[in-house]
Amino acid sequence: MVRLQLDPFLNELTSMFEHTTEKGSVWVTLKHSSDKSKVQRNKITTAGKELEYKCLVRATDGKKNISTLVGTKDHQRFQASYATILKARMTSLKKREKKDKRKAADVVVDKKLPKTTKAMDVDKKQQVPVKRSSTANP
Amino acid sequence: MVYVISWDDFVERSVQLFRTSPQKSRYVMKYRHSDGKLVLKVTDDKECLKFKTDQAQDAKKMEKLNNIFFTLMARGPETDITEVTGKEQTAQPAKRGRGRKQ
Repeated sequence: MVRLQLDPFLNELTSMFEHTTEKGSVWVTLKHSSDKSKVQRNKITTAGKELEYKCLVRATDGKKNISTLVGTKDHQRFQASYATILKARMTSLKKREKKDKRKAADVVVDKKLPKTTKAMDVDKKQQVPVKRSSTANP
Repeated sequence: MVYVISWDDFVERSVQLFRTSPQKSRYVMKYRHSDGKLVLKVTDDKECLKFKTDQAQDAKKMEKLNNIFFTLMARGPETDITEVTGKEQTAQPAKRGRGRKQ
């Protein structure tokens, strides 16, 4: 397990995604951790001090393991960079097929609606002369 | 493996799981470009929630979940995560403070 700084970690993660384009997977694990052993944690809590927590991020491509710790101050920046990498790399997922089908369905329904209203108008026009004839008789 | 079907259900339950056991919970993401599949797993080694997808729209939703988990894990499980906008609002005054110190 290689422990890296934030920016080298992001660079390695990018290269992992590049290597696994044809074959293989990328696993990214997020865990809440203080990076201290249980003994150290107990010492800190008994001393009354607050334990500083960070986010441990691990990544692997099945062969190589890398990790980094993201602290409270860095997490916004890391989050943004991480999101950018994912957006750029996750290109093989299917695009919104269902929504496109829905859009096509909506277009068909819209085309039908004006026709039905026009039919109604025609019916009304037909009814009017009938009524006039009925009132004229008596 | 417990595969959750609804995205919102998965988010709610995984945040709840993390809040219950912050020391043990972890959030795992597996992406396979060759198959075009994404699998998310949240577990505390007792309970396990998984979500799998091949839709690009779910990748966007996953980014929001990533933000939620980053905030929870970096700041502490008791942090109030009023979605992304809430976090941005809390972040801005802190940045301004830094600017004044400089």
